[in-house]
Amino acid sequence: MPNASDTERPPPSPTRTAAPGPRDVKGTRQALTVARAVKLVAFVAGAVLILSFPNMAPNPYILSAGVVVASYACTATAWNFMGGFTGYISLGHAAFFGLGAYATGLLIRDLSWPPFVAWLGAGAVVVLITIPVGIAALRVRGASFVIVSIAFVLILLLVSQAWKDFTGGSNGLVVPRPFPDLLRPEHHRVFFYLFVALLAVMLLVWWVIDRSRFGAGLKAVREDEDKAQALGVPTRDYKLVAYLVSALFTGLSGGMYALWFGDLDPIFQFSILLGAYMVLMALLGGVRHLYGPLLGALIVGGALEYFKLEYGDTQLHLVATAVLLGVVVLFTPNGIIPAATDLVKRFGPQDSSIREMTAAELLERNENEARRAADE
Amino acid sequence: MASEPTPAGGPAPLLVLDDVQAGYGRAAMVLRGLTIEVPPGTVVCLVGPNGAGKSTVLKVASGLLKPRSGRVLVDGDDVTGRGPQAMLASGLAHVLQGHSVFREMTVEENVLLGAYTLRDKARVAERVAFVRDLFPIVGERWKQLAGLLSGGQQKQVEFARSLMVDPKVVLLDEPSMGLDPKTTATVFEQVTRMRDAGTAVLLVEQNARRALETADLGCVLDLGRVHISGPAPELLADPQLSELYLGGRPAEPSLPVEG
Repeated sequence: MPNASDTERPPPSPTRTAAPGPRDVKGTRQALTVARAVKLVAFVAGAVLILSFPNMAPNPYILSAGVVVASYACTATAWNFMGGFTGYISLGHAAFFGLGAYATGLLIRDLSWPPFVAWLGAGAVVVLITIPVGIAALRVRGASFVIVSIAFVLILLLVSQAWKDFTGGSNGLVVPRPFPDLLRPEHHRVFFYLFVALLAVMLLVWWVIDRSRFGAGLKAVREDEDKAQALGVPTRDYKLVAYLVSALFTGLSGGMYALWFGDLDPIFQFSILLGAYMVLMALLGGVRHLYGPLLGALIVGGALEYFKLEYGDTQLHLVATAVLLGVVVLFTPNGIIPAATDLVKRFGPQDSSIREMTAAELLERNENEARRAADE
Repeated sequence: MASEPTPAGGPAPLLVLDDVQAGYGRAAMVLRGLTIEVPPGTVVCLVGPNGAGKSTVLKVASGLLKPRSGRVLVDGDDVTGRGPQAMLASGLAHVLQGHSVFREMTVEENVLLGAYTLRDKARVAERVAFVRDLFPIVGERWKQLAGLLSGGQQKQVEFARSLMVDPKVVLLDEPSMGLDPKTTATVFEQVTRMRDAGTAVLLVEQNARRALETADLGCVLDLGRVHISGPAPELLADPQLSELYLGGRPAEPSLPVEG
């Protein structure tokens, strides 16, 4: 019996289906090679630009701003080990930054450890503290996790302010300089390279995880935790490991900051604002991409330093940050890197049609239809 | 139509839920002493009203929910109380309700995640070839984002993913949810193909009449117990059951099922 779907029957002459012909395959391969070359050139250019920054900086102030931006890049990339892989948004990552900073300072002051040994020791302290915190915090998801992460940083802020004998309270904690003989500009230069080296290690670890079985499991958690669990991904353990790696690197960034800046104040170390910057930078660049948080840190960190330089003590940089956050969420919710990739794709070669059925399927369906009609 | 029902005293069942009681939190029991068997090479269908505990049965079987009492046996081994990974390892794969592909991942990534518990690469490649052969659409859309596929195609990706571990029993929770009647027919065809390829199926369906037409055995659940069970055609033919659980008698003979 003829029915409406017959109108969809393709012409009887054999037509080419959407399967890629040999030419398309060649084209795709060429495009891939080009993409790889572009990536390599961009990587080398980016690395050269970053490494030559201290020589290009016109004055020590700009150089110190560069160190701040590098430390932002470290924290945002460290945050992304959790936020990017698992989709758990922590607004309280400043807790680990502050813990790393204070642990470094206190290990030097109270135990007289050499500065960089204290720095590594601080990393271990952060991991030890994060294990129970992570086990507790990761029992909840979504908005609840965000709240728990904020609560953690607020608790640490109050403790570090109140425990004056140990942390120095609001008077601050002075961290002895690791290189007492260096002049200020030289000091900035050394720390710029130290931050960049730390960042390079993080990017490498991120890259390795991204290609690993562990990474595949984490990404499944990001997409849907229940499904991931049903497929046999040990979601709880994986989340905890990602959280620890993220906390460790954030703590190491904090410790490095302590060694560089030399003066710690609870209000700036355990700061909600710092945690929010990490999220903003990672979101801006693109949390699913290796360089996303770095790109975001260059933009947000650069803008913050610029506003502070130009407008001094006003709070204009905060307003600008808020506007930026709004723009990101409205126009590029997945970040700049995916948005730019889409834009390039739009001008580049188009993918094959996204029609749900190929001509061959349609033909098969209509034939089934005819057979069924004949049976009746 | 489906094969004959397994005669009593046939091959030992692959999956047994024996006198299982289970519930969520402190709320009342959902399953109150439920016993179900899935013999090899069969599609067993659970039907029953909302809240009867159909999905809960699957959750207990796949380890997402621990039973409070009773036993779960796979191929004679007691696996009661094990977690999802262990259940998967012992041969039970769960396809969750609704659209459960990872939408932002490619079909390939989805299917490979199904083999997450397999470490042998050659074995994974073997299974990939197997599921691509069983579900051609999966091979055709291999590099596409799963979220861009139609509902019926996504279901096939989910089936393929669940078969990657070569499970003894696949637990299907409402595979026809949100699909049009024609696509539903295709999905049930795929269910019989899975059975014919050697995997027993425990199926939960709202679309009760359609599912019983596909299944070999049926169980009617009510208030957390098996109200009645038997060969699916007999359940379909029972006028009282039709009235109570299948939404009245069919007004006309139902469509033949292909496959």
